[in-house]
Amino acid sequence: MAGKSIFVDTTRCTACRGCQIACKNWNRNAASATKNLGNHQNPPDLDGNTFKLVRFSEVENEGKVGWYFFPDQCRHCLEPPCKDTAEGYVNESVIQDDATGAIVYTDKVKEAPFDEIKSSCPYDIPRRNARGLAVKCTMCIDRISNGKKPACVSTCPTEAMSFGERDEILKLANERLAALKAKFPKAQLLDADQVRVIYLVVDDPKKYHKNAVASLERGNRRFAAKRVIDSILRV
Amino acid sequence: MTNHGIDLANSDCILIMGRNAAENHPISFRWVMKAKDAGATVIHVDPRYTRTSTKADIYAPLRSGTDIAFLGGMIKYILDNSKYFKDYVLNYTNASYIVGEKYGFKDGLFSGFNTEKKAYDSSTWAYELDDKGIPKKDPTLENPRCVLQLLKNHYARYTPDAVSSITGTSQDDLLKVYEAYSATGVPDKAGTVMYAMGWCQHSVGVQNIRAMSIIQLLLGNMGIAGGGVNALRGESNVQGSTDAGLLYHILPGYNPTPTAAVATLADYRKKYTPGTKDPFSANWWQNRPKYMVSFLKSMYGDAAKPENEFGYAWLPKGEEGKPYSWLDLFDAMYAKKLKGFFAWGMNPACSGANSNKTREALANLEWMVNVNVFDNETASFWKGPGMKPKQIKTEVFFLPCAAFLEKEGSISNSGRWVQWRYKAQEPPGMAKPDGDIIYELFLEIRALYQKDKKAKFSVPILNLKWDYATKHQFDPHLVAKAINGYWTADKKIGDKTYKKGEQVAAFALLQDDGSTACGNWIYCQSYNQDGNNMARREKSDPSGIGLYPKWSWAWPVNRRIIYNRASVDPTGKPWNPKRVVVEYVGEVKDGKYASGSWKGDVPDGPWPPLKNPDGSAREDGKLAFIMKPDGYASIFGPGLKDGPFPEHYEPLECPIDKNPFSPQLNNPVAATFKSVKDVIKKCDPKFPFVGTTYRVTEHWQTGVLTRWLPWLTEAEPQLFVEMSEELGKLRGIKNGERVVVESPRGTLDAVAIVTKRFKPFVIQGAEIHEVGLPWHFGWVYPPQGGDSANLLTPSVGDPNTRIPESKAFMVNVRKKGA
Amino acid sequence: MKLTRRDFFKISGAATAGLAAGGLGFDFAPVEAYAWELRTKDAKETPSICCYCAVGCGILCHTDKKTGKVIYTEGDADHPINGGALCAKGASSYQIAQNDKRAQNVLYRAPNSDKWQVKKWDWALKEIAKRVKKTRDATFVEKNAQGQVVNRCDGIASVGSAAMDNEECWIYQGMLRALGLFYIEHQARI
Repeated sequence: MAGKSIFVDTTRCTACRGCQIACKNWNRNAASATKNLGNHQNPPDLDGNTFKLVRFSEVENEGKVGWYFFPDQCRHCLEPPCKDTAEGYVNESVIQDDATGAIVYTDKVKEAPFDEIKSSCPYDIPRRNARGLAVKCTMCIDRISNGKKPACVSTCPTEAMSFGERDEILKLANERLAALKAKFPKAQLLDADQVRVIYLVVDDPKKYHKNAVASLERGNRRFAAKRVIDSILRV
Repeated sequence: MTNHGIDLANSDCILIMGRNAAENHPISFRWVMKAKDAGATVIHVDPRYTRTSTKADIYAPLRSGTDIAFLGGMIKYILDNSKYFKDYVLNYTNASYIVGEKYGFKDGLFSGFNTEKKAYDSSTWAYELDDKGIPKKDPTLENPRCVLQLLKNHYARYTPDAVSSITGTSQDDLLKVYEAYSATGVPDKAGTVMYAMGWCQHSVGVQNIRAMSIIQLLLGNMGIAGGGVNALRGESNVQGSTDAGLLYHILPGYNPTPTAAVATLADYRKKYTPGTKDPFSANWWQNRPKYMVSFLKSMYGDAAKPENEFGYAWLPKGEEGKPYSWLDLFDAMYAKKLKGFFAWGMNPACSGANSNKTREALANLEWMVNVNVFDNETASFWKGPGMKPKQIKTEVFFLPCAAFLEKEGSISNSGRWVQWRYKAQEPPGMAKPDGDIIYELFLEIRALYQKDKKAKFSVPILNLKWDYATKHQFDPHLVAKAINGYWTADKKIGDKTYKKGEQVAAFALLQDDGSTACGNWIYCQSYNQDGNNMARREKSDPSGIGLYPKWSWAWPVNRRIIYNRASVDPTGKPWNPKRVVVEYVGEVKDGKYASGSWKGDVPDGPWPPLKNPDGSAREDGKLAFIMKPDGYASIFGPGLKDGPFPEHYEPLECPIDKNPFSPQLNNPVAATFKSVKDVIKKCDPKFPFVGTTYRVTEHWQTGVLTRWLPWLTEAEPQLFVEMSEELGKLRGIKNGERVVVESPRGTLDAVAIVTKRFKPFVIQGAEIHEVGLPWHFGWVYPPQGGDSANLLTPSVGDPNTRIPESKAFMVNVRKKGA
Repeated sequence: MKLTRRDFFKISGAATAGLAAGGLGFDFAPVEAYAWELRTKDAKETPSICCYCAVGCGILCHTDKKTGKVIYTEGDADHPINGGALCAKGASSYQIAQNDKRAQNVLYRAPNSDKWQVKKWDWALKEIAKRVKKTRDATFVEKNAQGQVVNRCDGIASVGSAAMDNEECWIYQGMLRALGLFYIEHQARI
């Protein structure tokens, strides 16, 4: 599969949140008023102005404390269920960019029901912005179409994120996985065959974030399929 | 930093201690990760498990304020296990010096202690000198009074058991760290330390760093790539503003400010120009008179003449032995001894220790000027919590200034790179660059003095050279050129004639006869005949070790790693041929250098190495540590106020009443104050927990430049206090609840973060809890953000630097309403 | 549980929907129709150095040539220290450039007043100069108690600033020392 991919090596992430803010900066997304809820993750979740969020999880393994960081964002699925859901309602509401594979919502997405789009996402990514529009990471389609890296990747101090041709990124991800396997037997790439944003974790993915891997509880295939079939019948 | 940020990548072992690098200097971690990729071991020693700890190979917790015990234990480990780099120690340090018989250490006190004055007479710490006046040495290092043996003796008490009982670090963790770090004591390995205010802000701050410097010298880690003692500094130009002498004790370029007893320039030369009897010592500070005279010329221009000692008399003189430091300044202000005050680009109402004292002190002023980019707790102190504006007389002038990207000029990073930056937009509204404000303000002041013939001592005001404007606007290029220095007269040196008005090429050409003016000798070469070297952007790295010699410019003379003469053996060959900083290369005849020169980084002086390839001594060689009068680095350091060796003392507010190492509980010469606001409580059950302060990635200092930025305040919106789950349980505090944190000096409301990342310490068998708060918040903005953690911290400090002890004090924490 | 590609399709329903849509010849808009433009493409680039910690990262400012306003800031990819990277603070510097909370006025608070007044530069600098002179002349010590010449102004203190450029720091120390101040401190001490 050609196109681009992003590799997120969580073992290199220092949670400096440069990516979280670089994303807002490029996308001109505002901040919301937050409170400290007893941890450092803020805003508490992805929202209409937050396409990338560093999630913080404290863990304890055999009496040793650990702190996992997970810069969460749209995975840009190779075969994106959100697209199928939305396109079941209206064409051109979700674009899968030919050159890069980036999944991008257009303004037409407002004509598709947000709840269905959201619940069809195996990673619980889409959110609604102030205009009521479904929004999420665009892989910085405007930057990557002009030879630049996504803003989050460019700003990462520790090269926890890499961007490039999918085959090269997969190679890099697998090399890194192999290097970490000896020290971390649970090291794994998350859903690498299905998505363009590939995470490397060294422990149970659920310890990083409940939706780190595609979840059986999520995704709405029947609903999506029904909508598609209904729309076909309407044609 | 003796080295620089990129150089971290060259290290084999990185000890991060007294610092939270990943959070407070995130981009430094880019280079830490590169070192890790190449196989380096990363160690983090910190009371709390932080974002830095997540990337460390070894994390070792320690109780705040016990770093010397921790490091003293490492010194003992290195000596006991002969892990030190003997050739380096012998050739480049004072380990072999014989210390005089008057020196001693007993019951936690060094010799020469005066109980009444609470001060040491350091003359008892002097070396024994030979008949030429050079310190006596024992190259076998066996003389019981040689520095190495005294060191061994001093730290014999610092056993793993004793260290563990006071630091709370497990013996297992201690040994892991000692073993990993001391493995760098071989020629081809480099160990580096990254520290910051976690070491400075203690009543033993300087000695914390001294302890580590001793370790670095024992292991041969100074001057080499991937080594050094590296303070990562917290403000973008705190290096440059220090270099520029914006401190009471130094003029630009680290020349001491004169005191009352140093009445004339001749006295100044005599007092501050060190001498040496050792012909092999470069003793670079012998050049001080050139730098001082050139500085005076830059200040007073043509008015500075040989016959008036270049205007030396016009410089203010401090009282002998009286400190005018931050804590002393606010103590004087609190005592109503000050009338006028400039808080320029600062927010002292939140930034110094014991903020309640500071805030009350501001109300004692007649007038204050605050210059800033945003409103802040200093400018608006008169309407702050507990203040009654109608009773506060202080007049306040608030002047809005340009932000960094709205002006042109240079700043100096931690690695001494002086980088030029440019203007990207106009400042908003009436805001102006600081340079314009200063420039115009002084014109107004001078105009008043020009008019008033009876004004007090107007000579320096009228004579201050002040021609730094182009078309009536402040011109940073003109100042940068003056800082670099220029010839004020034609001068012939050798066969070359330098013309009046030309820029001075480098500080080796500065003169003490008034023929050169130079604002800051260490910046000489930054803007010379080649142009503005600080603006260079050529990204080449012939060294292969990341020196980037043509990117910007580094002081001194573009040297990227200082003390680099110690990176080679006495014959000039690199200790580690794989990471060459400098190397002496030349034609060798009969085992001797017939000619030669240094390759690589700009060496610490042009002289050849000490020895020829065959090991014979050269007459023209120079010792490695050129800034030390005797040429050797100091393992024994007789120049400090609190002893030649670091010794563990408890913080002035501490949770225990017995120091396991001596009967002396606290630093006997620590800086303390006596106002009613200076309350200190030791082992008071009302304040049972150790408190510390720190920063987070998303904010900066008092938050003046970050609290107003919505993206950052979204990510870290409020003051919090972090505590262990055990302490949460003890006090019935749940994660996310509002709590009250109180110290003998102040009270704060905060959100509790009850976390696994803090664990109670076992100290002398008892469980001791520690909590920590960031000092980024203030009552002005955001509305629910909370106030400054410095309301809790004590105005006590290190005796040498007088930096406050903000990193270890005592507090109580309780549930709000409880 | 590790998901296979097949599971993934089952969860998402992508296989069914994709097949259905493709098979029935949905008219997917040609992607070429979207011209993705960089919003900074016509902006002027100005290199700067970050104002926060002292690592010294390069920041590239993009200024709109028409309005003269900074429209975007990012890490300077050519800079050897940060290579385009920035942390949360550095990445936020755009919000220093464009921030409606920025101090824009010269303000004066009179003794015992509970409010600010907006003033002009000229007035403020002249008034400050008057106070400097008055306090300096009133508190100036030419000789100390021992009769030593000290030429020192004891009534005025200054703190700041590591937030200024080197050139600004240097002229600031020049001014303060010409006035005779000895209480000169800044961020290095705290």
